[in-house]
Amino acid sequence: MSQTDAKNVRVSKMQLSKDSIHQKKILNPETEKGHVISEDFSVFYGNTEAIVKANLSMPAKKVTAIIGPSGCGKSTVLRAINRMNDLIPGCYAKGKLIFDDEDIYSQYTDVVLLRKRIGMVFQKPNPFPKSIFDNIAFGPRLCGIRRKSDLQEVFEKSCRQAALWDEVKDRLEDNALGLSGGQQQRLCLARALAVDPEILLMDEPTSALDPRATSKIEDLIRELRGTYTIIIVTHNMQQAARVSDYTAFFYEGVLIEFAPTSELFTNPREKKTEEYITGRFG
Amino acid sequence: MKAHTRKILDKSFTGMGFMSVILLTLSLVIVLGPIFVRGIQAFLFFDTVEYRRMQLDLFDRGDPEEVKAELDEVWAERRFIYDTIAAFEEQVENEEIENSWEYPEKIDSLNDSLKALFGPRPDEPEPVLPRDRYGETRWDRAQQTFKLVMYKEQWDYSDPSAMGSKVLVPRIDSFRGTTVEQIFPYMEENLEKLMLPEFTFYWQFLTDKSHDIHFFGGIGAEVLGTFYLVIGTMLFAIPIGVIAAIYLAEFAKEGKIVSLLRTAISTLAGVPSIVFGLFGLAFFINTMEVSQSKSVLAGSLTLTLLVLPTIIRAAEEAILAVPKAYKEASLSLGASKLYTILKVILPAAMPGILTGIVISMGRAAGETAPIIFTAAVSVGQPLGLFETLNQPTMALPWNIYNLVTEHEAVDQIRHVQFGMVFTLVLLVVVLNFAAIVLRARISKKLRG
Amino acid sequence: MYRPGRMLRPVHSSATFLDGNGKVAVSQTTLNAGPTPGRSAKRSIYISEGTSRWRRFVSFSIEGFLFLVTSLSLIAVFFIILFIAIDAIPFFQLEGFTEFFTSIRWYPSGSPPEFGALAIIFGSGMVTFLAAMIAVPLALLSAVSLSDILPFSVRQFAKPVIEIIAAIPSVAYGFFALVVFAPILQTSGGHLLGILVWLFGAPLALIVSFVVGDMLADRIFGDNVTQVQRTAILLLLMGIFSVGLYFLYAPISAIKISSGTNALNVSIILGIMALPTIVSVSEDALQAVGRELREGSYALGATRAETITKVVIPAARSGIIAAIILGIMRAIGETMVVWMASGNASQIPSPWYNVLEPVRTLTATIAGDMGEADHVTGSSRYHVLFAMALFLLLISFFSNLISEWAVMRSKKKWGV
Repeated sequence: MSQTDAKNVRVSKMQLSKDSIHQKKILNPETEKGHVISEDFSVFYGNTEAIVKANLSMPAKKVTAIIGPSGCGKSTVLRAINRMNDLIPGCYAKGKLIFDDEDIYSQYTDVVLLRKRIGMVFQKPNPFPKSIFDNIAFGPRLCGIRRKSDLQEVFEKSCRQAALWDEVKDRLEDNALGLSGGQQQRLCLARALAVDPEILLMDEPTSALDPRATSKIEDLIRELRGTYTIIIVTHNMQQAARVSDYTAFFYEGVLIEFAPTSELFTNPREKKTEEYITGRFG
Repeated sequence: MKAHTRKILDKSFTGMGFMSVILLTLSLVIVLGPIFVRGIQAFLFFDTVEYRRMQLDLFDRGDPEEVKAELDEVWAERRFIYDTIAAFEEQVENEEIENSWEYPEKIDSLNDSLKALFGPRPDEPEPVLPRDRYGETRWDRAQQTFKLVMYKEQWDYSDPSAMGSKVLVPRIDSFRGTTVEQIFPYMEENLEKLMLPEFTFYWQFLTDKSHDIHFFGGIGAEVLGTFYLVIGTMLFAIPIGVIAAIYLAEFAKEGKIVSLLRTAISTLAGVPSIVFGLFGLAFFINTMEVSQSKSVLAGSLTLTLLVLPTIIRAAEEAILAVPKAYKEASLSLGASKLYTILKVILPAAMPGILTGIVISMGRAAGETAPIIFTAAVSVGQPLGLFETLNQPTMALPWNIYNLVTEHEAVDQIRHVQFGMVFTLVLLVVVLNFAAIVLRARISKKLRG
Repeated sequence: MYRPGRMLRPVHSSATFLDGNGKVAVSQTTLNAGPTPGRSAKRSIYISEGTSRWRRFVSFSIEGFLFLVTSLSLIAVFFIILFIAIDAIPFFQLEGFTEFFTSIRWYPSGSPPEFGALAIIFGSGMVTFLAAMIAVPLALLSAVSLSDILPFSVRQFAKPVIEIIAAIPSVAYGFFALVVFAPILQTSGGHLLGILVWLFGAPLALIVSFVVGDMLADRIFGDNVTQVQRTAILLLLMGIFSVGLYFLYAPISAIKISSGTNALNVSIILGIMALPTIVSVSEDALQAVGRELREGSYALGATRAETITKVVIPAARSGIIAAIILGIMRAIGETMVVWMASGNASQIPSPWYNVLEPVRTLTATIAGDMGEADHVTGSSRYHVLFAMALFLLLISFFSNLISEWAVMRSKKKWGV
């Protein structure tokens, strides 16, 4: 990168972060409540600032997509919400990240309580090497549910929600690793739903799946919207356009634009956004 | 160099590689071959009527009626030999034959060799030591002893410049022209009738206690002692090792202290085993006084230090090999770190941890030097469970050493020694095969 | 509020579900499949300051406990050095250093006792050196073949073999050395040595004659050398070598070995025992040299042998050095084999390189003399054994540090 380029980036960063303060206004406070709200929220890996003072408000019971080129910090944002970033040594956050009127990064926050309310589906399906039933019962058991009949009820409900019930109802005791990739991912979704979360974080949930399994997951996302707040990271813009209500575009750790999806894709306000969605880079 | 030559060099290099692996395998076969072939003979062998008598007397095994019938049968055959000798002795005493003065010594020698083969006659008073009470109990031993009945060992010093050499002189020559002469061909023809060899599978060798310092019986006390030592060692080593591995893999932040810990672990792995023995003596027994003197407890503690690095390394490796995705999934569901480790990571790492445990069990069973001063005795009784806290024990590795180097009749109990080594090696090899199979299953799981 | 259509869980479990503080609070909460506006119990992600402090205390104590258990290894190493030193130092106070390191007269129970350990240290050094001479070439070749040459199927078979060699207890090796190997060495040692010379000499001669023959053929006949000429030279060389080996066999097989329990016996067995360590550690080092480097070399037209000797082995050098050190450590520290089969004569063989004479080592002396010295705790006789142990310990400690440093260096270099 030449010197002038570097300068440009810095300048644009400053401008953008100023602009993005106004992003909150896109939500109508009467009808839409921000479920996760970030205020000047930054994440650092050691000395590098991976997220630069992001300000956005992700509405409750809607699907918010986070897009951007790889390495732009979209996963970092997502993992900040359930504090999975804590696992990375040298990673810390500044600013505020509000979830349901409480600060996720407050010193009184208990990550266990937090994560029980925020489910997550990962990039690669990661079922435990246990039976299908034990996979889904893992969360409920954590909450102290021990009775078999209760567990079975939760199991059936979550499986139905994840459109998995018909495929697994006869093989509860089979090893979950024996399922196909798409089924595994839906199992992971069901597993997350079984703890009755309020928010579902999805970190590129379809990137390891074939088209048919992908469309199944997308259908599920559409079905679950209205019940859960869903935040999905994707590198696939079509996917973001298909499933999300709102889209946030990140570039080099900076929130460039946050808008209703239809608006962002048809009429982007920022030049960078336009360049990205028209495929100029990324 | 020409391309042609380089190619030949390359080929010969490959050839040397194959050769080295063949040599490696060969050395394993050469070491294990004799141990296995001769070790099995401690379990599977042809016994004699003396063996059945011994088993009935000492272990209360077999049908008394049957043994008595067999004894009557062989003594009916043997009677002829003893009667002939007795008659000849009488002749000698009455000086009825020429040169009768030279015979008593020869007869004594013959009688001794017969006693070694057949045991004492029924009319003789029962000897004190069990080893004198019975003739040869094994057919292979009986055939060797029979050779000493037929031939007398003498030393030949005819060549003054070299060491004396052993020669075998036929005994029959010294009784030429007498009535005794006929017993030699008789014995040669009827040896089987005199001893009644029978094939047997003596699996109780593993569990029987020994009689008269391994002249008879099995290695039960040693097996039990080794078992105690291994279990005791694992009781200490598994929790400490697995906890240390968990700490190193999941909690430790790399820094000076942790690298010091790692250096300590690899240093511990490099300490000579005999030094562990001395340390066990100086620390656990003389300083801590975990027991008055040698005990299974002190030995187990010493062995724990020895196997600890193996377990820690294997367990840490296994924990680190667990995909990070499992951990993330568990944490994202709201599980605490400890819960995640106990319920997700450890179960997934279990095969790898088990591999380390199984291998170190083999080491604990086979190590000799650390238990010499801390746990092992040469002669003793099988211990009860609570005696392990303050009593020393017999153990396979130590008693192998002891029987081979310090036993009074090393050559006569070769089969016991080989049986013991075979048992120990088999134990270790089986444990290691279990580890290999476990590991193969893990890699299959990771691949599939 | 109660909507049967969505009600999928009984009331009490839902209460457990929603309660975040780990208490099972039975509430009259409405049941929801998700966070609907009807949710009446607010789930907080906060905990009180007391709870937070308590949590931190618990996790701190758990971590502290784990750390303490882990540091047992460190404590053990510290105590081992401490306790061996405590019992070793009195010896040097009583007897000084000179005799121990310079005299070869070892009569600890004589009057006056003599504690010259030079012969014993020499014995340890001798069998270790010899064992290394046997083990290192064989082990390195095996490691190279395992990592680069052999097909996967053979590798699958060879690995367990190496593991079993490592696993066989030392007392079993000692038993083999004493009961099986020593008598053979004693009765037909010369022939055995002769066969060994053939076993190693013949393949070596074959290779050398192939290579030298090839080069000679090119040198003598120039570029248009025919196959017949090549073969002729090859046969000629092979003939010379086999005649040489044949005449070598006669004097070697005439060697009489007066005692089967000698330095050669234990060195061979120790060599076998040290094999697995060297093979596995150096194989790891060779594997750590990435594929890129190998492919780079192949791309320049190097043969496999050239790639291995000129690229892979130099790159893995420090790992291989560490492997050799660890293997040697195994040989120095080994007790049972040398105790059982070295003959235990505290003497420097005459001439000093005569490997067919009995020797005695440090480890065997500790093991053998402690039984008697234990009754005279506190005497020089007791402490001298700890002095020997300290000597061994220091050697192993420093070798370990060196090998660790070597491994670290290779790791840094290859970033694995």
